[in-house]
Amino acid sequence: MHKDQQDDLYNKFKTKIELVSGECYRVNTALEASELVCNVLIEKGIKDVALLNSPISQKGDFVNTFEKKGIIVYTDNFRQVTPDAQAGITQVNYGIAELGSLVQADADVNQRLCSTLVPIHIALISTDKLIPTLKDTMATIHSLPEIPGFVGFITGPSRTSDIERVLTIGVHGPKQLVVVFVDEEVGGVA
Amino acid sequence: MADKQFKKKISDALDNNVLRGALGRFGDAYVISREKAYEGYDFKEISDNIAEVKSYAASHLDEMIDQFEKQATARGAKVYRASTGEEAKQYILELAKKKEVKRVVKSKSMVSEEILLNKTLMSAGMEVQESDLGEWIVQLAGQHPSHMVMPAIHMTKEEVADVFSGHLHKLNQPVIAELVKTAREELRKSFLEADMGISGANMAIAETGTLIMLTNEGNGRLTSTLPPTHVFLVGIEKLVPNFEDATHILQALPRSATGQQITSYVSMVTGPTPAYYPDGTVQDKEFHIVLMDNGRRKMYEDEKFKKTFQCIRCASCLNVCPAFQLVGGHVYGHIYTGGIGTILTNFVNSEKDAQNPQNLCLQCGKCSEVCPGQLDIPQMILELRNRMGEKTGLPFTQKFALDVVSNRRLFHSMLRMASIAQKPFTKGQPVIRHLPMFLSGLTEKKSLPAVAKVPFRDVFKTIKQDIKNRKGKIALYAGCLIDFVYPRIGEGVIKALNEKGYEVVFPDGQSCCGAPATYMGDRGNARKCAIMNIEALEAEKVDYVVSACPTCTHALKESFKELLHDDPALASRAEELSKKAKDFSKLLFDLGGLTPGGDGIPLKVTYHDSCHLKRSMGVYTEPRKILTDTSGVQLIEMKESDRCCGFAGSYSIKFPELSGPILDRKLNNIEESGADVVVVDCPGCLMQISGGLDKRNPGLKAIHTAELLLDKRKNVKKNRVK
Repeated sequence: MHKDQQDDLYNKFKTKIELVSGECYRVNTALEASELVCNVLIEKGIKDVALLNSPISQKGDFVNTFEKKGIIVYTDNFRQVTPDAQAGITQVNYGIAELGSLVQADADVNQRLCSTLVPIHIALISTDKLIPTLKDTMATIHSLPEIPGFVGFITGPSRTSDIERVLTIGVHGPKQLVVVFVDEEVGGVA
Repeated sequence: MADKQFKKKISDALDNNVLRGALGRFGDAYVISREKAYEGYDFKEISDNIAEVKSYAASHLDEMIDQFEKQATARGAKVYRASTGEEAKQYILELAKKKEVKRVVKSKSMVSEEILLNKTLMSAGMEVQESDLGEWIVQLAGQHPSHMVMPAIHMTKEEVADVFSGHLHKLNQPVIAELVKTAREELRKSFLEADMGISGANMAIAETGTLIMLTNEGNGRLTSTLPPTHVFLVGIEKLVPNFEDATHILQALPRSATGQQITSYVSMVTGPTPAYYPDGTVQDKEFHIVLMDNGRRKMYEDEKFKKTFQCIRCASCLNVCPAFQLVGGHVYGHIYTGGIGTILTNFVNSEKDAQNPQNLCLQCGKCSEVCPGQLDIPQMILELRNRMGEKTGLPFTQKFALDVVSNRRLFHSMLRMASIAQKPFTKGQPVIRHLPMFLSGLTEKKSLPAVAKVPFRDVFKTIKQDIKNRKGKIALYAGCLIDFVYPRIGEGVIKALNEKGYEVVFPDGQSCCGAPATYMGDRGNARKCAIMNIEALEAEKVDYVVSACPTCTHALKESFKELLHDDPALASRAEELSKKAKDFSKLLFDLGGLTPGGDGIPLKVTYHDSCHLKRSMGVYTEPRKILTDTSGVQLIEMKESDRCCGFAGSYSIKFPELSGPILDRKLNNIEESGADVVVVDCPGCLMQISGGLDKRNPGLKAIHTAELLLDKRKNVKKNRVK
């Protein structure tokens, strides 16, 4: 993808996701991502995090970076740890620029445990996985060998307006969503 | 006709200030957020796409179901077809028993509410927990949802806090953020402990066997992630042919439902996915899909109701409905509320259950304007009303009144008598301010106009028509209100059309257009009126037929054709009439309008769009052009100019308690505009609005466009000569 086009898509995405209370960052390399996420965790006072291993987290050596700062990192046993962990980190498959949406296209239950039960979800994504529109995204998913068992769009933290139509952030899903785009090509998630 | 119990429910709802406040605030905010969400998108194109893919699915229903079942089964799902709610409940109950289920967690499913699934599972000793916040509140309060998208919109935070305190045995403060936190904590346990999850779906994709749900809270994701057994309960109307067809519905549903570009979560589930079992192992979950009919097929096989398949359950029709906004969902009596709810209730519950709520429809058409599935809800409700009328007959007094109306001589002589008999009520004024006893509701919020001393049909004979450059002949169809209450409108119409070079004739045999019968569900009398007028108007002999009442124009253009479609000779005459019939302001505009002019005296006017003129005929720029071409006239737009005034024909007689507040809102908007005069194109709206103004703000006047022209252009010729 052309650099200008990528910048344009990223800017659209960032504008959209910030409108729905998401945080959005962009870095060059997986190592920079590791530093950035580590700082975010410290800033938010996170003591333990559920990390679902992915190309970006491995390339960026996330586990070591965090542990050096005294953060406990869980990389398995997610059914036990995610109900109480303070944050979860997963890599997602695509981003939809038009909507500021992340796309998980993965049947793996751990992908959802680490991104739904935790109060803070940190999503990693390769910048080249940005897709311009919803329509293009549906076509991309449709062109996969088969529709993955679970495809989830995530657009901001969970929300409700069920009481008196007052918007309240953080119901059953995360209360905060942090998205980190990585420009370096490290490969998407399976 | 609405029965006493139903009337009681309405008055209770109207007395509930909490409900009125919540619904009112939401209705106002909704319009704005919906508009904003669609900014930069072509709503028409999106809704065309939805109508196309959904109508395809509707007309290939068996094929869709077969394909869905085949694909979902190939991916490992177990698909069960339930023809009734009872079958669906038994299937899920048996499955739950087999799996030794103790705790069930549900993400939102209106279908499960429709069949009262929770009751079945709970009486078998299972714990059933709703997890959508609104549904959970309603469940704890022992109520039904009052809105498809926002189940607890009728409750305040104080009421929610009370319900929580009562059930959770600890005090909850009425602070929304705290209440939501409580819900998160309480329901988290249910998600983690549940051994069965039950979900509804917004779409079922035939091509791939995929189920799609849209949620904001994350409950749909958790229900699809944690319990090792997952059941989707889905109405057959959720079928969509191809995977990429879902795009259209994803574009419309969040925007139309809540004014969001997209919900926080969209979850697409295709076949079983792995889940953690209690022993710690990860295996494919037990995955079932129940495709339920429960009266739906009967609805889709009925030509008049087939389009209900195109409904995507966004509830935008409720959100813009003036009646729903006043009474809320519970008055409708069953699970599905509002206009679309009335239709669904008729088929999934019973015709009897729809009998009362169908009365609530004003026929204003606002819902059709915003419907992303292109359903003509008012038309369908009217069809229900007519079928009910044919089956059970109308109450004696209504039937009698309509029989009179369809008998021209009798009706007209009664109106002439009324002009004399009304004297005690008018006390010498042109309006009736009070009526005695049971009729007092009619004049509580508004005055009624008195019947004119001389009907238009007699005035007509005295009008001298001055026609220069004669171009042709136009038949004037007056309709009851112009003929017997507002003859001056007729004079204005003639004067304007004469100026355009047309002679105006008044066929004497004309009578009521039949709209009262049509809207009360009496097709027999409506048909009689259609025939009488087609014969009287002899459209074949004139260039146009003009009416200055959009409800009448709608009858001449549309209803007559529908009523007579089975009689070829009359149908072709109805077709001829339909082609030639035009509403006054539209006709005048199409003829090139009047030469700009007027008395030049400054007059601030605001314009009220009548429902039939704007939404049935798409006419709204034309009258504005006519007004602003009149010198001295300054047009100031009021807020919500196309919102119904609450007249709606017999509605204001059946439900003065609803018509009144709807009128109040209109009057507020008129007053806020700062205009001196409100101009309308419909004598019905004129009667309603001027009656309301007379009681509340007699300094503000309402007049018909034709009358305004008559007033402001009295001396046009003289001016030009100067």
